[in-house]
Amino acid sequence: MTEETTTLPGTLEVRNVSKAFLNVQALEDVSLDIRPGEILAFMGENGAGKSTLLKIINGDYQPDAGSITIDGKRLSFSSPKQAHEAGIRVIYQEPEIVPGVDVPENIWVGELPKRFGLIDRRELNEKAQRRIREYGFEDVLPIHLMGDELSSAQRQLVEILRALKRGVRVLALDEPTSSLTDEEVERLFTLVRRLRDEGVAIIYVSHRINEIKRLCDRIAILRDGRLVAVEPSSKLTDADIVRLMVGRDLSDVFKRQPADTEQEALRVEDLYSHWHNGVSFHINAGEVVGFSGLVGAGRSELAKVLFGEYPKNSGRIFLKGEEVNIRRPDDAIAKGIGFAPEDRKREGLVLMRSVLENVSMAILRQISPFHFVRKGLERTIVGEFVEKLQVRTPSLEQEAGKLSGGNQQKVVLSRWLAAKPKVLILDEPTRGIDVGAKAEIYRLVDELANEGLAIMFISSELPEILGLSDRIYVMQNGRITGELSGKSATEEAVLELAMVDNLSAAKTGPAKNPEG
Amino acid sequence: MNKDITAQLPISQKNGSAFRRVINVIGVDNLSLLFALVVLVFLVTVASGWFGFNSGDKFFTWQNLMNSLAQAIVIVGLLAVGETVVIIAGALDISVGSIASIGSVVSASVLVGAGTVGSLAFIPTNNVLIAVLAGIIAGVLAGVINGFIVTKLRVNPIIATLGTLAAFAGIAFLLAPDGKPVGVLTQPQFTWLAQGRFLTETPIPPLNGSNWTGIPVLTVILVIVAVFVHIIMSYTDFGRAIYAIGGNDIAARLAGINLTRVRVLMYMLSGGISGLAGVLLTARTTSGNPINGTGLELQAITAVFLGGAATAGGKGTIMGTFLAVILVGVLNNGMNLLGFNTFVQRVALGLLLIAAVAVSQWRQANAERARTRAER
Repeated sequence: MTEETTTLPGTLEVRNVSKAFLNVQALEDVSLDIRPGEILAFMGENGAGKSTLLKIINGDYQPDAGSITIDGKRLSFSSPKQAHEAGIRVIYQEPEIVPGVDVPENIWVGELPKRFGLIDRRELNEKAQRRIREYGFEDVLPIHLMGDELSSAQRQLVEILRALKRGVRVLALDEPTSSLTDEEVERLFTLVRRLRDEGVAIIYVSHRINEIKRLCDRIAILRDGRLVAVEPSSKLTDADIVRLMVGRDLSDVFKRQPADTEQEALRVEDLYSHWHNGVSFHINAGEVVGFSGLVGAGRSELAKVLFGEYPKNSGRIFLKGEEVNIRRPDDAIAKGIGFAPEDRKREGLVLMRSVLENVSMAILRQISPFHFVRKGLERTIVGEFVEKLQVRTPSLEQEAGKLSGGNQQKVVLSRWLAAKPKVLILDEPTRGIDVGAKAEIYRLVDELANEGLAIMFISSELPEILGLSDRIYVMQNGRITGELSGKSATEEAVLELAMVDNLSAAKTGPAKNPEG
Repeated sequence: MNKDITAQLPISQKNGSAFRRVINVIGVDNLSLLFALVVLVFLVTVASGWFGFNSGDKFFTWQNLMNSLAQAIVIVGLLAVGETVVIIAGALDISVGSIASIGSVVSASVLVGAGTVGSLAFIPTNNVLIAVLAGIIAGVLAGVINGFIVTKLRVNPIIATLGTLAAFAGIAFLLAPDGKPVGVLTQPQFTWLAQGRFLTETPIPPLNGSNWTGIPVLTVILVIVAVFVHIIMSYTDFGRAIYAIGGNDIAARLAGINLTRVRVLMYMLSGGISGLAGVLLTARTTSGNPINGTGLELQAITAVFLGGAATAGGKGTIMGTFLAVILVGVLNNGMNLLGFNTFVQRVALGLLLIAAVAVSQWRQANAERARTRAER
């Protein structure tokens, strides 16, 4: 992969870099050039070594072997500060923002202009305003906002502006779009392209193939710590990328064989709540039913109403034909519903407790006769599901928060499988996890449905909704706007139901706007 | 770094060496605490013995160890054990001192028939068991009130128990006849709880010229309660729920844990233990006095944080708290021996609370960083 052509001045040359942690080889003999005026994507599954490489470039880690040079000067970064001085900036997913101060102070933190020993506010504000206007963000980033009032996108912007104020030569962005809206993504892309045109070497780390192909000039793919390909992005198809990342063909990712059971597991009739205006649907045993719709359509809230976390105003819920009254999540669990929420870290896991405790949490009562936890039984059960789902953890005692995103999700799923529900609600189960883990979760969903579980599958990713669902409900504005069969559904059909406004609402009168 | 490595390796609990087993009982996280305790004991011993501020008052005498130290830590120790549960669950119970005052007055007046509670019963029971139970039940009821305010009225635990700290203190006075202490000197069976000794006849050689005094009943009660709560926290579903709620209450609820129930039970446990502490205060001071528990919450909370509990909840052990209680006890005892007055001791205690919380915050920040690092 090394190129013997003369390197452009300002090229960051990574040569034979290796790094190991304990007994895990995080990077092995990686060599590549990051050229000025080019956007280079880093792709790879979680744990492939992208982050380690970024951290070595940023001076957070020292490589065990190999070198990094810029303009022929070998850099030995003992701290991020030295990397900064060489014009290298890595922008991580969660930028460090000072909560109680405004945008200009956040940008110039550490080097505020002073006058008579006090902060020169006027100069600071002017400088900030000028710079923000220069990059065309004046209506996105009002400078009076305090650090804790900034959205994720605005935080990223502040961090990028911080990096730019001192002449950046190499800029690395680590999954910058994971929490941005589409419009914000566009603005970010405009900025990144502009920087590229100004001659900055840009590293762009992302899981999103579409984005990468639109934005990046070349793609570097890492797998298990090795660089497996560096190619111009026009040369790689989506399938190539996935195959290179995973090391196997993923044509059979969605291998769903719809079940033909007619036994009803869950039926909801005329559900009204703060978020919903008359939602009715059903899921059969052995069926994967996708719930699609835009963000804010009320899908996650529907899951939470069913699970007893949010209250309903009216409507009836039947499990296996029997009407149930669910007041709290523990009611729902006792009646055979499981729920893997969208936000793993905030709602799914107790990050500081062990894998063992997180998995057994929903079955504590069953494994604790006279309230004493039967620890042997607990280990057996938890071990069984952790093994079945191939959760990669050094031990069952490992803190859940120390696992990767995909493995954290598998811990949540292990919990629900252990609870043996009849209906399993999965809310965005593949969000933020790498391709390999996604494939495993798809396979698992298929398997579970074949074992007779009814699965309510909420997702914003159309390919997985279309690929995995036996039937699809599309929601919009707190109501179900359509039902599609999994086989015949197309992206266009789903999107139309999700987005085209007031088709059904026109008939039934104006939809009550969700107040929240 | 070392810590990370041990955390990564699956440690087999069963076939470890004896040393390993001892470490496991103490808990790896508590080793630094044990070390601090050893250093402190060493310092106190050297200062009290070698420099001889007061030549008679050496640290290592049976008189000092068994009478002063072992008894002094009991009341705060009990409150701290209950408080540990509450703090692990991510809440706080500031009212424990006032609940102890209520327990003190209630047990005394039930025993001798004086005071509002006694007059409700009309007759003195003269029964130690009933008096003890009455004190504990009063504490449990106070805990129910705390639990109700926190769960049903949704008042922040700090504010809720700050309110009940004041209210329960007032109730303790209202329960006592004209707010005056109820004497129990006439009840030797009851005062035995505080003055009794076990194993006085055991032939154990004198230490530094001080004869073996036996083990105080009080100390035995503390150990029993600590072991009891330790078992609850380590082996029951309730204990698991406490850790889970403290770590992330939303996730715990969505995993089927009934937050209201667990929180009310937790305040009942803390209240009951505080009530028992109040009963023992009565036995020790020979009177059910409404000011008996005043100010003890500060020492209890200090010990819990010193014992390694996380301020945000989810982490902590009874063993850690127990070691911290001894540490605070040795510190106070040492300062007594060295002739520091109580005001200096209060300053030291206040600083210790701040230092303990600072260390706890620092640890949490580190753990947080380790988690985000692992995820990248």
